[in-house]
Amino acid sequence: MESRFNTQTLITWVVMVLCAGLVLYPLVFLVQVALNTGDAQTWPPAQYGLDNFDGLLRAPKVLLNTLHVAALATGMAVLIGFSMAWILSRTDVPGRRTLESLMSLPYYVTPLVGALAWSALGSPRGIINQLWYALGGTQALVHINSPEGIAWVMALFEGSVAFVMISAAMKSMDPALEESSQVLGAGKLETMLRVTLPLVAPAVVGAVIFVFAEMLGSFSAAAILGMPERFFVVTTAIWTLVVRFPPDFPLAAAMGLSLFGVMLAMMYLYRRVMHSATYVTITGKAFRPRLIQMGWRRWPLFGVCVAYLCVAVFLPMLALGYVSLLKFATVIPKDIAWTLDNYRTAFDLGPIREALGTSLTLGLLTATSGMVLMGLLSWIIYRSHTRGAGWLEYIVMFPQSVPRLVFGLGLLLSWVVMPIPVYGTIWLLLVGYLTVFLPLGVRTISGVMVQLDKSVEECARVCGASWLYQLWTVTMPLLRPGLIAAWVLLFIASVREVGTSVLLIGPRTKVIGPAIIASWESSGLQLTAAMALIQVSIVFAALLVLLIVAGRMVRIEGE
Amino acid sequence: MTEQTVENHIEVEDLVVHYGAVMAVKQVSFAVRRGEHLTLLGPSGCGKTTTLRAIAGLEQPSAGDIRIGGQVVYSSTLRVNVPTEKRGVSMVFQSYAIWPHMTVFNNVAYGLRVRRKSKKEIEEKVHWALDLVRLGDLAQRSAAKLSGGQQQRVALARSFAFSPTVILFDEPLSNLDAKLRAEMRLEIKELQYRLGITSVYVTHDQEEALAISDRVIVMNTGIIEQIGTPGDIYDRPRSVFVADFVGAANLIRGTLRRDLAPPGLITLETATGAIVHGCDNGRSVGTAGAFSVRTVYPWLRPERPPEARNIWKVRINRRVFLGDFVQYLVAWGDEQLVIRRPPTERFDEGATVYMGIAPEHCVLLES
Repeated sequence: MESRFNTQTLITWVVMVLCAGLVLYPLVFLVQVALNTGDAQTWPPAQYGLDNFDGLLRAPKVLLNTLHVAALATGMAVLIGFSMAWILSRTDVPGRRTLESLMSLPYYVTPLVGALAWSALGSPRGIINQLWYALGGTQALVHINSPEGIAWVMALFEGSVAFVMISAAMKSMDPALEESSQVLGAGKLETMLRVTLPLVAPAVVGAVIFVFAEMLGSFSAAAILGMPERFFVVTTAIWTLVVRFPPDFPLAAAMGLSLFGVMLAMMYLYRRVMHSATYVTITGKAFRPRLIQMGWRRWPLFGVCVAYLCVAVFLPMLALGYVSLLKFATVIPKDIAWTLDNYRTAFDLGPIREALGTSLTLGLLTATSGMVLMGLLSWIIYRSHTRGAGWLEYIVMFPQSVPRLVFGLGLLLSWVVMPIPVYGTIWLLLVGYLTVFLPLGVRTISGVMVQLDKSVEECARVCGASWLYQLWTVTMPLLRPGLIAAWVLLFIASVREVGTSVLLIGPRTKVIGPAIIASWESSGLQLTAAMALIQVSIVFAALLVLLIVAGRMVRIEGE
Repeated sequence: MTEQTVENHIEVEDLVVHYGAVMAVKQVSFAVRRGEHLTLLGPSGCGKTTTLRAIAGLEQPSAGDIRIGGQVVYSSTLRVNVPTEKRGVSMVFQSYAIWPHMTVFNNVAYGLRVRRKSKKEIEEKVHWALDLVRLGDLAQRSAAKLSGGQQQRVALARSFAFSPTVILFDEPLSNLDAKLRAEMRLEIKELQYRLGITSVYVTHDQEEALAISDRVIVMNTGIIEQIGTPGDIYDRPRSVFVADFVGAANLIRGTLRRDLAPPGLITLETATGAIVHGCDNGRSVGTAGAFSVRTVYPWLRPERPPEARNIWKVRINRRVFLGDFVQYLVAWGDEQLVIRRPPTERFDEGATVYMGIAPEHCVLLES
């Protein structure tokens, strides 16, 4: 066929192979190291077996801790998410639109910064307890360095994810379903119990599964709040195994693979549940849901929403801001010594300045190359009719099922053996980031792309334009808002990333997320707080750009 | 053989197109003459749009041949599949596909720019095209700010600005209101005729098809039911489907009575014994057949007229006033026929009248 070998087909296949490689190569290595029971230094491996997994079973405490924290966090997060979703989409609480867009703020604050802030607030000598003692208390009021504390902080951030999922279901419910219940004589409560809740239940179950999976793979909060008390979950255990000398890669890989396996199973379950939940939106129309008139109760509900935002965003920011401006931690007014030294140090100290610079560079690189790569991918998956496009979609969304830290481990293991000296450089980080951000980028761009009527592109071809000319003159200009949104989101995601990079940094390459953790381990809370706030400021500055350009805040899922 | 001397501008041979496991176009063959306006007519899902898009290169056929201007653009046997942009056909889409990020001028100029025409030529041609569709003063308007009718005209201007020899139309008027549709289809016909462009036009509106086509192809579930001029299709439908789809028709079935047939005519006897004379238009018939009778052809009289053939007494069951005509449901033997008469005639429900049908209006359908 004359058209079989043309530019379009060639680029399509190259991109597909590249993507499959990016996603699968580290995982292949992970599996191989986990199953390698021979000498870790020889390659190819001498023997295979399941011995490495024994280490996992001999330390059941880690597994139990993980499940404990994840279950608690999921319960709290879904409760928060459900309440917020119900209040903001079904009641007539004032300021709904603003509150809803503010609900995505926790993502931009990041669990790492949140954990730091809550450490400042709730640790045995933290702000809350100091205030409590000053007021006459004898025992600590709050103990954040406990499983409950970790779960609390994690729940604050995943709560907004649960909110997005559940409110989407609530909003897509046809009001006629409830109206017919009331017309037939059922009261408000009965309607809610017999009609509303069952219809929303699948989305709630889906949220539970999704959030639980994310909690299993979460790292930052457990690192900041758990490790000082020697409380380990699987992710922090893996990190400890890798950064100590000598590193225990086989056990780390075994743990990583187990975690990955569980998360994969949960994600599969999640997809099954959501698939059967589609009867809620069977007509595909968008509805304006009926709002329940709450009367005077609107104001307490408004207070609940504001309280959540305060506790999740504003209070931590204030606490960190306060701490970052102190010479040493105290709340006793006469002992307070204000200083800007922490910020000065952050900008002057070589390693930290390097980390900031590298993060920004990496952010720019990730955003730009990611935008191009994911734009192409979106077009291939949703627009071209190449065979295998379905597989490509699956590959692109696959990184969602891999815990970030485990993926970082896989990358580490796969590139350490390579003769190319890429380990510990910015390029490896770039490769890692591009891969884990594939779902984010492709989802954002394809969201805009599927709204583009294909006849607009076909018309260009019919007028005589080649595929590249059509992409350049018609497709890209029309996709521009989506492409810009994707660029900014990728930049933000890159700057806030911790899980993937914490195992991949080297003596020559530091980025800001891991640098904050390192600073927290070695330096005082004050300097760390300053660094954390600098990171948040960069993210918020980018967010502002996004707001101005795209006119709205874009919703995201995940850590 | 140069392009100019080829009589058939577009040839489609045994075209097969699949949508997944479904065969949307089943071995369709036809030819379009140079300068002709050919319409593909049929209900949704009949394969007409798929066929059109296959000619444009926007659908991938499974088998068959397509030749444009004598050149093979698709052939399953020769393993040829020329990409869309090289086929030299132009197209007007149902959704107009106007590019909102360009001005009207740039939309229309696109085809010329792709062909690297000089700035002067582009200016000339764009203004000429816009003047022909009467949008001359909107050249610098942003295309995002146009009404539906204006978008349609811009799409039209864009399609012929670079002087193509073939334009494909994919239901270009179906998104317009009825009045605008009637206006625009005449304009399209005018343009097509004036510029001598070969057109293949897809529509589900039979009125549109009859009004502007040189020939019509009626399609149904992926096959061609009939090819002919509008007159042919209307007055001599070949099958029940065509009789029913184009205009409204009554179906009269009966067994063949060669013994009762006058010279040049054919006669059927219905189940209730009525003798109906009609014409066969050269079609063959077995022992039984069916006549198609357009609803506008039977006439009604209060008294028995002097003619002898095809006159029956009928009873008016229902009368429906539809503005331009009145529709009567009459009881004829065991059956019910639909008759449309001008509003100047008036017959009441329940009345007994005489109905007559001229034999040339009883058309034998192919079995």
